[in-house]
Amino acid sequence: MRGKNIKSKDKHILNLANIVGGARSILYQKEDLLAYDCDGFTIHKHLPKAVVFPKNSQEVAEVVKYCSENDLPFLARGAGTGLSGGAIPLNEEVIISMVRMKKLISVDLENRRAVVEPGFVNLKLTNSISDKGYYYAPDPSSQYCCTIGGNVAENAGGAHCLKYGVTTNHILGLEVVMPNGEIIEIGKDGIPDAPGYDLLGLITGSEGTLGIVTKITVRILKNPEGKQTVLAYFDHVEDGSQAVSNIISAGIVPAALEMMDKTAIEGVEAAAFPVGHPKDIEAVLLIEVDGIAAGIDEQIEQILEVCRKRNVREVRAARNEEERARWWANRKTGFGAMGAISPDYLVQDGVIPRSKLPEVLRRINEISDESGLRIANIFHAGDGNLHPLVLFDARVPGESEKALEAGSLCLKVCADVGGTITGEHGVGIEKREEMRFVFTEEEIAAQTEIREVFNPHNLLNAGKLFPTPSRCVEIKKEMKAQAIS
Amino acid sequence: MIASESMSELKTILREDQMLAGEKDSHPFGNSGHLKVYPESEEDISAVLEYANSNGLKINIMGGGTKRGFGGLNEKADILLSLERFTGIVEHTPGDMTLTVKSGTPFKELQDYLAKHNQKISLDPFWPERCTIGGVIAANESGPKRLGYGSARDAVIGLRTVYPDGKVIRSGGRVVKNVAGYDMNKLFIGSMGTLGVVTEITLKLRPLPKSESLVLVSFPQGNLKEIRTFAVKVLDSMIEPVTMELLNPALSDKLTGINFYTLAMSFEDVESSVQYQEEFIQNILPENAKLTVNSKEEADFFWKRFYQHSPNGTAEELPAETEACLKVGTVNLNVLHVLKESELLKDMFNVTVESHGGLGHGLSQVSIRGAADDVASAAKKVREIAEKAGGHAIVKHLPLELRKEVNVWGRNPSYLFLLQGIKTKVDPHKTLNPNRFVGGI
Repeated sequence: MRGKNIKSKDKHILNLANIVGGARSILYQKEDLLAYDCDGFTIHKHLPKAVVFPKNSQEVAEVVKYCSENDLPFLARGAGTGLSGGAIPLNEEVIISMVRMKKLISVDLENRRAVVEPGFVNLKLTNSISDKGYYYAPDPSSQYCCTIGGNVAENAGGAHCLKYGVTTNHILGLEVVMPNGEIIEIGKDGIPDAPGYDLLGLITGSEGTLGIVTKITVRILKNPEGKQTVLAYFDHVEDGSQAVSNIISAGIVPAALEMMDKTAIEGVEAAAFPVGHPKDIEAVLLIEVDGIAAGIDEQIEQILEVCRKRNVREVRAARNEEERARWWANRKTGFGAMGAISPDYLVQDGVIPRSKLPEVLRRINEISDESGLRIANIFHAGDGNLHPLVLFDARVPGESEKALEAGSLCLKVCADVGGTITGEHGVGIEKREEMRFVFTEEEIAAQTEIREVFNPHNLLNAGKLFPTPSRCVEIKKEMKAQAIS
Repeated sequence: MIASESMSELKTILREDQMLAGEKDSHPFGNSGHLKVYPESEEDISAVLEYANSNGLKINIMGGGTKRGFGGLNEKADILLSLERFTGIVEHTPGDMTLTVKSGTPFKELQDYLAKHNQKISLDPFWPERCTIGGVIAANESGPKRLGYGSARDAVIGLRTVYPDGKVIRSGGRVVKNVAGYDMNKLFIGSMGTLGVVTEITLKLRPLPKSESLVLVSFPQGNLKEIRTFAVKVLDSMIEPVTMELLNPALSDKLTGINFYTLAMSFEDVESSVQYQEEFIQNILPENAKLTVNSKEEADFFWKRFYQHSPNGTAEELPAETEACLKVGTVNLNVLHVLKESELLKDMFNVTVESHGGLGHGLSQVSIRGAADDVASAAKKVREIAEKAGGHAIVKHLPLELRKEVNVWGRNPSYLFLLQGIKTKVDPHKTLNPNRFVGGI
């Protein structure tokens, strides 16, 4: 967006600029493109061909159509907070930035739905309706800056999805630009159960490989009447994990149930939002219950009781909203806080059956010992979603590779106990190969077949989500093709 | 291919007592088969599919048979694959609150088993004694409690599906949060068995509520504006009803003896919360409305009868009166419009109408009984009503002959090419449940 005239002779740049309204809506010079060479996953960097900033669905469709007709790879990008590399232009893509499409189009409180453009920031939606007593439930830690379009692409989660579900449970309708430029509308007006396969569910979480979402109808919820948060310190990780299981099996559905281990606590206490967690404890639990105010005390009592039975060192409920907010700020900035105790860190995102928590933590400790790298653990313990943070120093030769390997080993452990390799960050570039930990070649092929229906030329966000097909599958496919012809 | 031929070839796969030739000539709801087979394992299912797929045979899939009148334009396929003998729990991990189960297992059996662990599947389908978990998932069946707990797409976390060529594809997993790869579970939920035979389903469970009650508010004046105002007040409050199901007077009469529009609101939580919510409703009750609070036992009885009120496809003979059932989707509060307009069908077509709809989730269901022609005309009219309200209507139950006359799925969506594309990739020979779904899929 530098000046009024395009200084490039590349006809594609000129034509794309034309579509989106001129030189102010396109970036194409190297120094401008550098900011787009990666997203929140910073290990791979690639320059895009250009970045365009369309203002509406029509412009997106025209850009896509142009790219498709001219064989130019392309991808959509929101705020670039993705942690798995989903918006990195591996193939010199034209990046379609959605940041100018950031309107809140409509809010219908009576029918509990809102329509937003994809560039609309997650937290802004809640802020826009909170005075009426409503909110949007999915709350990824980056919600102050990440976009709802990006949330749809990644099927983003958050601390409160234990009770309220992840993004896919809150998406009612989508307008989508298909990879050939055609615009389709699914889940019209947010009406449930339209006849046909559930494309809404399929596209949500497809990491921008099936289409580009240009309008989103979301479900909004009424604020819970009451909310109470409990903090519990444990001297032994086992006791903390057992408390998690016991709370759930007591029939309580907490809104959130978070856990941090000793190394993570060291990080958050050294960073911007310390709350004075004791440094010598092995685990802290942050437990939130919400709902009808009349029923909350009873549940809190029960939680305190469970924690005491599990040898808790100290457990107490937040005294006021301010204290509650401080506890949450401490937790939600947990990833970034690792910067205070380590030059670099790598976030992983495994999921395990809750009951395997003690075993998995033991094995992650072993990985840490063997690699010589510290691993902090921050997790959504209630739904078994672990975020091991591998701490390393990229300046030390070989340490980045070691960190990547340790991260991958953590995911292997999760897969081995019946879990999965990503709960909310997505596969992106980062975990392509790890897909093999959970799926067979045939199962991966079943998924890429679906991609071919939507994105037959694979111009849209190619190279993401799936491992490179192994030779034997390709040969099988070739043989099949020969047999048919 | 005639049944006996398939039978002799299938003998290498199945035992003789797993096959039944020549189901009676014509079944009133169709979706039958020349040869009925009873697989007992995933390997059986895989082998039957592979055999049929490579020999150009067609397969209809059946669970408990409650949805036999739901979609499908053919009387018979070559093979009717019954999941009746493919039942049982594969794994229940109470601490993880997850359950893996074979698809032919009757729904109620599962709930009864889980109740012993103070857990439940958070779905409330019709005919729980007869329907199977596989059928509920394949048809995306939901009930009034969808408002509080969501639908199949929110409860299913993993599937094993046998593709038409016999391969087994797993999707999702056994953990409650999972974004590895495409969310393929969603493809199979509600696909009416047109993509594969789901063999195992993994669900996330919920705890049984510690306390529950059912508050019925009836409106003697039948003024829908008044009902709307009341409903909006409840929805805009901080209370959390698990259902906000409005019953038309005929259905209310059948279930409660009160012949007025009645709003059924369930509360499920700890006791103090349930009580508080009952009182809240009492305090905002409109002047003319009548309220009854039902204990858990009374609520159980009410819901039991509720889930049995709509027609199902298990009968071998057609009843004297023709029955139809339609599922209508609209914007939440347009449910009022759908119920109101559907009342007009009674005089217009000389039929009886039992209808209900969720004011918090936008799905209504209209059951119609009367003479065949009248029922068909009334069903078409329901679709008109739905479309006028900006929504859609799906025919959930109708005898085969009338399904040929009343389009089951309504007009094709603009993105039909995507649905067809998916079908072609997964089931290129159209082996499974041919013509059972949207646009002839």
